[in-house]
Amino acid sequence: MLIYALVAGVLFGLYFSLVGIGLNLVFGVMRIVNLAHGDILMLGAFVAFGVVALAGIDPLFAVPLAFVLFVLVGFLLYWVLVPRLQGSVNPEMLSIILFFGLSQVIEAVTTIFFGTSERSIQSRMLGTVFSTIRIKLFGGKPGASGPIQIFGQGFPAAWVIASITSLIAIALVYLYLYRTRLGTLTRAVMSRRDEALATGIDVDRISAAAFGIGLGLAAVAGVFAPFMFGSVTPAFGADATVTSFAIVVLGSLGNPLGTALGGVVYGVCYMLVQTYLSSWADLLPYVLLIFILLLRPSGLLGRRVRVA
Amino acid sequence: MPSAFKHALFIVLPLIAVFAVLPSFYQNHLLLFNFVIFLILAQGVNIIYGFTGYLPFGYVGFFGAGAYGFAILVMHYQAPAPLAVLAGGVIGVALGLLLTPLLRLSGAYFAIANLAASLAVLHFVANPALENITRGPYGVSLTGTFNPTLAYNAALVVLTLTLGAVVYLKNSRFGLALQAVREDAVSASMAGVDVVWMRVIAWLASALVAGLAGGVYAWYVSVFYPDNVFSGDFSIFAIVFALFGGVATITGPIVGVIILYGIYNLIGFTTPQYFQLIYGLLIMGLVLFLPAGLVSLATRRGWHVP
Amino acid sequence: MCPDSAPILNVTKLAKRFGGFYALDGLSFHVASGEILGLVGPNGSGKTTAINVISGLYAPDGGEVVLDGVSIGGVASHKLVHRGINRTFQVPKPFMSLTVRENIEVALAYGRAAVAPPDMADLLDEYRLAEVADRPAADLNNAQQKMLDLVRALATRPRLLLLDELAAGLNPAELDWIAERIKALAQTGIAIIVVEHLMGFIEHITDRVIVMNAGKEIFEGKLAVAVQVPQVIEVFLGGEHAA
Repeated sequence: MLIYALVAGVLFGLYFSLVGIGLNLVFGVMRIVNLAHGDILMLGAFVAFGVVALAGIDPLFAVPLAFVLFVLVGFLLYWVLVPRLQGSVNPEMLSIILFFGLSQVIEAVTTIFFGTSERSIQSRMLGTVFSTIRIKLFGGKPGASGPIQIFGQGFPAAWVIASITSLIAIALVYLYLYRTRLGTLTRAVMSRRDEALATGIDVDRISAAAFGIGLGLAAVAGVFAPFMFGSVTPAFGADATVTSFAIVVLGSLGNPLGTALGGVVYGVCYMLVQTYLSSWADLLPYVLLIFILLLRPSGLLGRRVRVA
Repeated sequence: MPSAFKHALFIVLPLIAVFAVLPSFYQNHLLLFNFVIFLILAQGVNIIYGFTGYLPFGYVGFFGAGAYGFAILVMHYQAPAPLAVLAGGVIGVALGLLLTPLLRLSGAYFAIANLAASLAVLHFVANPALENITRGPYGVSLTGTFNPTLAYNAALVVLTLTLGAVVYLKNSRFGLALQAVREDAVSASMAGVDVVWMRVIAWLASALVAGLAGGVYAWYVSVFYPDNVFSGDFSIFAIVFALFGGVATITGPIVGVIILYGIYNLIGFTTPQYFQLIYGLLIMGLVLFLPAGLVSLATRRGWHVP
Repeated sequence: MCPDSAPILNVTKLAKRFGGFYALDGLSFHVASGEILGLVGPNGSGKTTAINVISGLYAPDGGEVVLDGVSIGGVASHKLVHRGINRTFQVPKPFMSLTVRENIEVALAYGRAAVAPPDMADLLDEYRLAEVADRPAADLNNAQQKMLDLVRALATRPRLLLLDELAAGLNPAELDWIAERIKALAQTGIAIIVVEHLMGFIEHITDRVIVMNAGKEIFEGKLAVAVQVPQVIEVFLGGEHAA
């Protein structure tokens, strides 16, 4: 039971890291609180629904599609919203309200087009591309891939696929931030925004890139949401946003890679509480968030943060 | 005539008088009651956000706690309703005290932590394990105290108190010092202002107001579920109403509630998603084009707005 | 000026650490009522940190700050204001959305001046703010914001006043004028500590200077003497932005 909870916690945790990392990138670079983050996740899930319903193929194909689509959406939203916002007296505070408005719009539009019913995807759909390849190359019988064995316990294949995808995505974010020129500049903006402006770095371009990538990552996380949470409705976004915040703050706000640690810690806590104290599991993200903010506002890996 | 007196005479008194007589002319009593509740909550947000700059994204936590404070006193102690409303206020203040450490956080950190706190209180109250005390997710039914007319009048009393507090802040050195803290805490402390103390007082005052509002709300509706009285819509509406009119003024939040809640009711509840769409767009437009609220249209021209 | 009187402020072996970096590393000095003391040194030598510790913004990590014989290290800023310490900021941060008059009113009301608080109209006149008294502080230019910051401090009737680069950015006419004002303030018995990069200005107004480097005092005495001490010269020529 304990081993099951721990392994499931790590699998979920890696996925949770992916859920939070985009939010953190956006806050770190722009000091903007994207309260519509969870709604982008929700839209990512609808991309997966679309791929399955229209093409009938493995929802994994929705991953690149959702990423590219929402990077573009991110660029567009950035140019429409952010410059005006940054020009106001208190952008950080107003961003909360602005993006809350955006989340309402997204939820409303999705409801108008798709209704409020719960949607899910049969979990054996995920990863069919792998068995197809296996059959093509090595022969064998087609069939649903069963649970995957780790430490003698069976875990749904969807969990493992989601966590591996998350690991790859986090590694790519790492490569972007530490191995590319744009990424280096992004880190410069994250640590000292005003100085970066003064040194002539094109903060706008870097912010737009971070915003696009942040939304793209959220959408990718959303593709797996139907498998990790069972089903998704247009109202899924609000809860997902708060959970993402708990993860991000746990790791440290403004440090995207800290989110990887935050996600795993969160995932393990989540599974342990689910297993041993299930009636209080709902409280976990909120209580955890408050305690971390009060006891160690900089997060587990963080530098100093602004304290009033 | 001192300006505090003028504000009481020309803003507070007419507003209360209008809402006191309206029920005799207008059938939809619940709608009028909701107007009064939102006037209270918007002014409560005004106290903490307008005067100190803390954005209470989980403001509904105090409201819901007040409603449950009322319910518990009535259910378990058979308390008379007015006493139970006061208990709602006390619960609000107690929760505010519990959450004072949050004031150490600034900007977005505070807003998010406050949101989390309100959700934590919701999940705590709604937990089936506490069914004996709060009735958990199954909701409460308080038919014994049901009396909309009295509850409405009690709401007017709470509104009067709240407006009194805002008039005081707008006209006193205390209110001025609070705004100084909002603008720059370090400079304020170098003006001799005890920054921590000021923030705690404003925080507890706004918690008290929301707790009392929750109490009268519970009295009025008498049957409710945790999701009703802890609905995030209360926080958001109160914030948006206050912001739309303009914070750190007496009239701004009033105008905000009358106009926006009026529109809300004109659009109607029949198609919630269209309403949500229009509302979301309105909020975005507000932040992008009128971040300092309607009153800024006047102050920009150099007019003084109370 | 009464250099013989007992010091109002005594700083001994003051230390302040940020992470592993010692911004103050055993700084000691004193200042008497009516005296103008200059703190000079290259950037990063700890001048502003010293002011921040004395005015209660940071608690010291070691050493003592003694005001009138009472240790005040770690006491909250607003309480120090009530005990007679005040300061201006390198970058003034007035209450931007409040009017100039309201800015001063806060300090008059909450400063708990030991003696009767000064008169608002006098302050506005003396520091050339009367014309902008009813405008929001955000409308003021940099020099006016600096004067408002000074007036905010004076409204609390300080006995010890710490001026952090008050003169930086002022034009020559304004410099002469503010120099006379600072001297006049000292004449009323206020002890004044001035941090400044403009050596001519320091020379003109101070009785004595402390030259700082790496959080320590390396010279104490007249500025005219200081500039002949090899150690001081080296510090200034070695410093990147020495003025």
